[in-house]
Amino acid sequence: MPWKDGYTITDEIGLRDEEVTWPENFQCAVTLIVDYSVQGGNDGIASKDLTKPQAIFGAKIGVGRVLELFESYKLRATFAVPAIMAEIYPEMVREMTERGHEVAAHGYLHEDVSSLEVNEEKRRLNLTTHILTETCGKKPEGWFSLPRQQDRYPGGQISPNTIQLLIDGGYEYLGNGMADDIPHYWVVDIHTKRHILTLPYYYHFDDLFFLMFPAPGMGSGLENAMTLFENWRQEFEGTYRRGRCFTMVVHPHLIAWGNRIEMFERFLLHIKGFPAIWNPTGSECARYWKERYPASSFLNLEESIWRDYPGSLS
Amino acid sequence: MMAQAEKEAILGDIHSKYLPIENFEYPTGMRLAVNFTIDFDAQVNRKLKNEPAMELTQGEFGGRVGIWRLMDLFDRYGIKLTIFTPGRVCELFPEALKEAAKRDHEVANHMWEHRVPSEPDLEKDHLQKATVAIEKLCGKRPVGTRSDHKISSLKKEGYIYTSNDDTNDIPYYVLSDDGKDWMLNLPFHYVLDDAMYFHFGWYGSGNAGQRLADPGKVYELWLSAFRQLYRMGRYMNIIFHGFVSGRSLRVAMIDRLIMEMKQRPGVWFCTCEELARYCIDRYPPEKMKDRK
Repeated sequence: MPWKDGYTITDEIGLRDEEVTWPENFQCAVTLIVDYSVQGGNDGIASKDLTKPQAIFGAKIGVGRVLELFESYKLRATFAVPAIMAEIYPEMVREMTERGHEVAAHGYLHEDVSSLEVNEEKRRLNLTTHILTETCGKKPEGWFSLPRQQDRYPGGQISPNTIQLLIDGGYEYLGNGMADDIPHYWVVDIHTKRHILTLPYYYHFDDLFFLMFPAPGMGSGLENAMTLFENWRQEFEGTYRRGRCFTMVVHPHLIAWGNRIEMFERFLLHIKGFPAIWNPTGSECARYWKERYPASSFLNLEESIWRDYPGSLS
Repeated sequence: MMAQAEKEAILGDIHSKYLPIENFEYPTGMRLAVNFTIDFDAQVNRKLKNEPAMELTQGEFGGRVGIWRLMDLFDRYGIKLTIFTPGRVCELFPEALKEAAKRDHEVANHMWEHRVPSEPDLEKDHLQKATVAIEKLCGKRPVGTRSDHKISSLKKEGYIYTSNDDTNDIPYYVLSDDGKDWMLNLPFHYVLDDAMYFHFGWYGSGNAGQRLADPGKVYELWLSAFRQLYRMGRYMNIIFHGFVSGRSLRVAMIDRLIMEMKQRPGVWFCTCEELARYCIDRYPPEKMKDRK
């Protein structure tokens, strides 16, 4: 493939529908992600953010409702947990694992790490791993860098060092990348082919930007719960036909209220009506993928044909 | 009140810079031409805008997944796409573009790296680079562009049409920057551009410009535009981006849209080049110069 540092993270052609298979002939994979953050600023969740009514609602009441829904529909999810949330709500985080869900790391404070100095980012990453390991009695396998409502871009923020640090830190997968709608390999070095498995994410299937956030300059302030439902439904049905991986993200402080939790339940009910759905946690999905589609034979990388030209972007 | 001279200057410009095709008619049996076009920006435009890494991966989806899905969809209906590609994408996703040419889709120019330099020499240089890159990869020199390249530069490189100016619903000619020549424009409209509905953060629109529409709503809107343009016998140029419309939920929506459009007789699903050649042949600008 025409590798170009700074432009490309993986190989040139994604796997076609007919090449994708799931365990036991399941028709498609559905991964449910819960972002167990409360809303914070660019520096992440601060003490004052944790005591806001919306934060308390999400972290204590909302998450309980979401867990109950998963229980009644026998669904399993991956909870992306900032370390600070595990420090404040350790019982709740343990309950997630006790109920059969996965707890993955979501930064120390769900902060924007894009301009952090590498040693500081590494320190926070190790601290996060340590806190979540202490809380759950098990080292987290996955790492998420999901967006926040006030972000300028909806894909989540990483630094130029993040992927390398995750590999060094022993993480099995990165939870959110947008280069495919199935798992794929994020390569940090074309020569060594060092990489991390990345699970698919797309902001159109994340409740974050659909549900009213009426602060100046932050959004339309409109309640778009039905649009979210339609995006989920149409993507799920398209993905199901193609046999790929459907991934959705919810935030307890947003999704657990009134009309929204009703809509969420209606959606879960809808997907439960389809046969042969595989509902793995992030790490189960990653493990399957690495075994079925190992990078050694499925990551097709070649040297770059890209050159630098005078007068052009490099 | 506007000075007479200023008024005359404006009216003069309107008259001299645009050459409408009066009483436009399609080939016998046709009443509406529909061009399905792809702006194959992939991550090049994201990079140009200096967007963060995750946004580049969003663009990358278009090259490694989306473009293939759209080609497969339109091939099923035997409809040829026009793919406007930045020249640099020839180095990022050569296999997709080679495949497009092999399947007889039109590959056209969308600048070198999604910008037109203001320096005259560099502007010509970028146009030449992109033209050569496409010709080398696809085996055919592009004849169309979607860009702000100077018409005089485009003419020198053998281009016959542009699909750049928006807000009209019938092809027309625009005057070259040197005043010597005309170039056919196949106008699009932002109503028919997928990014306007589905690309959050388009050109920094940010949270305030949430673009997270339900594809069903866009389907209704486009179908309504189609019905009216069909009734009036005008022209429709729909723009997709691989990383936007290549997502499963939107491919499914476009599939439904094509099915619906196919129900009517007299819809000419053609490439931009086919339509351009028809217009230039049937309504050559030099024969319409003496209009009043």
